[in-house]
Amino acid sequence: MTTVQDIPEIKLLEYRMTLGMTTMEGRGFYYPMDVGIADDGRMYVSNRSLENVTRGVRVTMCDIDSEYYGTFAAYGQSPGQFVWPSACTLDSRGRVYVSDEATHRVSVFDREGTLLSTWGEHGAGEGQLDTPSGLAFDAADNLYVADTYNHRVQKFTADGRFLMAFGRQGSGAGEFNLPWGLTVGADGCVYVADWGNDRIQKFTADGAHIASYGSSGRGDGEFRRPSGVAVDANGYIYVADWGNERVQVLDAAGGFVQKLRGEATLSAWAANFLSVNVEEGEARSRANLEPEIDYFVDDPHEESSHIEKYFWSPVSVKLDRDGNLYVTESNRHRIQVYQPARAYA
Amino acid sequence: MANRDVELIGHLMRRAGFGATREQLGAYVAQGYEATVESLLDQTAEQRMGDDLIRRFHPELSGMMGTLGSGENWLYRMATTTTPLREKVALFWHGIFATGYPKVIHGKALSDQVRMFRHKGMASFRDLLVELSQDPAMIIWLDNQDNHKDAVNENFGRELLELFSMGVGNYTEQDVQECARAFTGWTLGNREYMELRSMRDSDWPYGRIAWHFEFQEDDHDFGEKEFLGQRGPFNGDDIVDIICQQEATARFISRHMYSFFVADEPPVPEWPYTEPQDPAAIDLLVQAYFDSGYDITAMLRALFNSDFFKDEAVWYRKVKSPVELVAGVLRLTGEFDRPRKEILDRYQQSIFMGQFLNNPPSVEGWHQGTDWIDTGSLVERINFASQQLGDATKPGVGAMVERIAHTPSVSPEMLVDACLDQVGAIQVSEDTRRELVDFASVVGSPDDAGHGRIAEVLQMVASTHEFQRA
Amino acid sequence: MTSTNREKSVVVIELQGGNDALNTVIPYNNPLYYDFRNNVGIPEGEVLHLDGEVGFNPNLTPIKPLWDQGNIAVINGIGYPNPNRSHFRSRDVWYTCESEKIGAEGWLGAAIRDLDARGENVLTGVNFGRGLPRAMVCKGVPVASVANLETYGLMPDIQDEKSRQYALEAFSRIYGPTETKDIVAQVLSETGSNALKGADRLRSAPGLYSSSVEYADTPISQSLRNMAQVMSAGLGTRIYYTMHGSFDTHSNELPAHAKLWTDVSTAIADFTSDLEEHGLADDTLILVFSEFGRRIKDNGTGTDHGSGGAAFVIGGGVNGGLYGEYPSLRPEDHSEGDLHFTNDFRSTYATILNRWLELDPVPIVHGDYEQFGFL
Repeated sequence: MTTVQDIPEIKLLEYRMTLGMTTMEGRGFYYPMDVGIADDGRMYVSNRSLENVTRGVRVTMCDIDSEYYGTFAAYGQSPGQFVWPSACTLDSRGRVYVSDEATHRVSVFDREGTLLSTWGEHGAGEGQLDTPSGLAFDAADNLYVADTYNHRVQKFTADGRFLMAFGRQGSGAGEFNLPWGLTVGADGCVYVADWGNDRIQKFTADGAHIASYGSSGRGDGEFRRPSGVAVDANGYIYVADWGNERVQVLDAAGGFVQKLRGEATLSAWAANFLSVNVEEGEARSRANLEPEIDYFVDDPHEESSHIEKYFWSPVSVKLDRDGNLYVTESNRHRIQVYQPARAYA
Repeated sequence: MANRDVELIGHLMRRAGFGATREQLGAYVAQGYEATVESLLDQTAEQRMGDDLIRRFHPELSGMMGTLGSGENWLYRMATTTTPLREKVALFWHGIFATGYPKVIHGKALSDQVRMFRHKGMASFRDLLVELSQDPAMIIWLDNQDNHKDAVNENFGRELLELFSMGVGNYTEQDVQECARAFTGWTLGNREYMELRSMRDSDWPYGRIAWHFEFQEDDHDFGEKEFLGQRGPFNGDDIVDIICQQEATARFISRHMYSFFVADEPPVPEWPYTEPQDPAAIDLLVQAYFDSGYDITAMLRALFNSDFFKDEAVWYRKVKSPVELVAGVLRLTGEFDRPRKEILDRYQQSIFMGQFLNNPPSVEGWHQGTDWIDTGSLVERINFASQQLGDATKPGVGAMVERIAHTPSVSPEMLVDACLDQVGAIQVSEDTRRELVDFASVVGSPDDAGHGRIAEVLQMVASTHEFQRA
Repeated sequence: MTSTNREKSVVVIELQGGNDALNTVIPYNNPLYYDFRNNVGIPEGEVLHLDGEVGFNPNLTPIKPLWDQGNIAVINGIGYPNPNRSHFRSRDVWYTCESEKIGAEGWLGAAIRDLDARGENVLTGVNFGRGLPRAMVCKGVPVASVANLETYGLMPDIQDEKSRQYALEAFSRIYGPTETKDIVAQVLSETGSNALKGADRLRSAPGLYSSSVEYADTPISQSLRNMAQVMSAGLGTRIYYTMHGSFDTHSNELPAHAKLWTDVSTAIADFTSDLEEHGLADDTLILVFSEFGRRIKDNGTGTDHGSGGAAFVIGGGVNGGLYGEYPSLRPEDHSEGDLHFTNDFRSTYATILNRWLELDPVPIVHGDYEQFGFL
């Protein structure tokens, strides 16, 4: 594997644990796309599942202690149902928002998953959406939406009234190519994973471009199709470097700090599965899960398909109130949790 | 009406690709036939729907947990690539080295095999056979993980000779045994766990783990072997070298190539008893095989530039396979300018028509030719093609309708000819053309300059038998 | 009322995904059941008792009267040697009757070929659903696959009736008799006109049908209703197929399994009433099967892939009762944590092929399997 740069790393985060496992229904995840975390720690995981499978598409409720609280929503076109569920986030009152890239809608649920409202209309006009993906609230409960195929970010009130939009298709400063995840920092600035341009862009709350971080590549501080971004109170920027199958941490000025490749262990649910299915557990214990392989193509995606503990499609990064970082991996149907390293805690 | 140059390129594109739009045909005609063949053989400048886009919107086409992901992914490529011959050749090898889901139970392993066909399928046949022998899906498919130094399983060794290279009658039972011995220890990494997961269809706890090849030296029989008259402590690569030197191998592969790209030969089991329909064509391909040092691209170049390929007598002689039909329609409709959830439905259509990629009916692949056609599959084929091509909201169809509307197609005859031209300069029989003209003269209102009538005629063109043929 | 001149037909309902046999025919009298099914078990008080040892899941209530009338044969412990827990592979084993190698033809496809040796009726076998299960695939045997009987046929997407009529007329001429020597054109023309005829006949079925039975608005009920329509139209169809699922209850099993069985047993109960009404009950046999059962021990909220299942054979001509030995739940008798099969599914197939369809079962199931007395 080629690394063009090797910048000395600071260990800001350390691995803590893994949550979840593959299940098409109920307790578990199936192609999870994002996790929204409530103030009380309850997690809402949006699951994409297989297409056209009426099962699997759902929001799974659980927490960091692997408690399971049930699921809600299902595949379909009706209000409260999803076809291509994508991002999941919560407003200050604990209501759960989920975007749908196929129906071009945002659906709002209460804490227990009862549908409150659905809004969004397909189109390119003001307030209309084409493939809404990333969602994030600011401190005033305004919602930023990554309006993917319109190559812009739109800002709405919590009930879906259009406020403003910024960005257009392109690769210049303030322009986007299929933006995906986004977040709002403590200072109110908006950070957008500008997926097709291999960079993170930072904007004021009103959409004025402040800075761009990163460029295409596999080196430190470089990105390949970043899909998600989170920012902590100190301004550290956490990036789901999706195409490179890793997470990178940047400082507030965009300087490289740390890179994570994933080190998953068995979740509580996974351990339970292997204890019920004894032969599988035994065969697994005899297997070498980190084999040396002569890869057919030099590609992190390929490597992650073989080495189970590595991130595979790390699609979203989210922080909880304690500074834990939740990395949702769609292809591994789990969430790896990293915590502030003891040296920095 | 299209001229012969356009029609000849249309024939080339149906065989070497999945058909082409009228505009693409025009561009190919402008550069000339041989230059077009060269551009098909040259794979360096591919443009297509990117893997990153597919994976972003279709996580299953990345993780491949189920039975459909690998084939859906492939259909995206067939429908959007600018180097269609590479996909066509991959399909060709998939039909011969037919490996299927029911035993492998691993979508990515099957998809990886197709990726290998893409990379190696137009280079040296020797390298292709070596890669095939190390392909994890093939190892499981033909039980080579059970082929041990002290307990030989000859399944792979036999099929390598019978189905993949020489054909029956060109080797002895002892050759099969010796061949199998040479492939002992060619197995899968983490065999026990991976085999168990496959047997149990287990994607727990964290989804599929991709497979990799492993050579287990301590399970390999390093002893002396006698194979096809040669002696030595042969390993698998040596066996492949010897296989590739054989005239029988050259003839077998050439005949497959002729049957796939030119005109259907009888099913393989009949080959030992039936002469090829065009022995001179086979001779020419065999010559290209040896002259080039087993280079498949050289064989394809010889084939596409030959008189037997260009001969009008072989045009429309083949029935499009379901996947070819679906991919061809999608290239005309241009529906997949971006990832769309409809890809699943389009892909399933080919299954309904009787071809489930990565799930051939047996180790012998699919029966080609008129075996694709029964009442059930024909209904699916016609409904699919006519529905898609009659839908002017699709960008490609909309563009065709616009172009036809702008040409002076006042008479039903001219309208029909314009439609036939737009769907890829296809020729139809006089009978079919007469029925289309009759149809064009009754549908729509007489003063309907509008597009509905054009779309209806396009729909009817898509339901003709000529459209079902390549 | 019973008819005399009808040919016997078989309806196959595949429970796709692996039905949990232990929670379908429940050994409620065996304490081991409750040990293993700590979280995913059915309380004894809810079980519909059959013989003092085992009983139906309460969601089979709609078909309990059929049991009471002696019209249901329950085959416990059905399976095959070296069970495979992969959905795909195990379905393939059931489809092709080949448990060791990859089979080439489906058992029902072969039955259709034998029932209509001269290939005179393209509707001898009809599948209700999209795509053809390999059970019905056999080289040279045409089988219709019907997603929706009302709209079945060629070019159903043309909304305007007049346009569709023009299109179908043009089609029938394009695919009409041809003088050409071109073999491909001949095959296409002949097949095209057969398809047109078959479609016309099938689509006529709903118009010829009336019934007092009101089916539920579920896919399985609608498929069985479509079957009743085709049966009462007398099109000569002998083999009917449909699937329902998914029974792959790894989690959330109790509510999911309840809904699945409510839908299936309601559909079967309505269908059999409808057959009674049309005098077809004694000429129709229903086989309900699933590719495998599930693990004996639950995983907390569901059950994982197992082996050893239960199948039902239902119909007026069936000698109801329990067949096949119920597999032992004792740990030392388990097959890798699963129920050990006690009878080969090919015995059930052979019984149906031989005693119901009057075919030679040996070449179809690839062997001479002992037959049951349910027929």
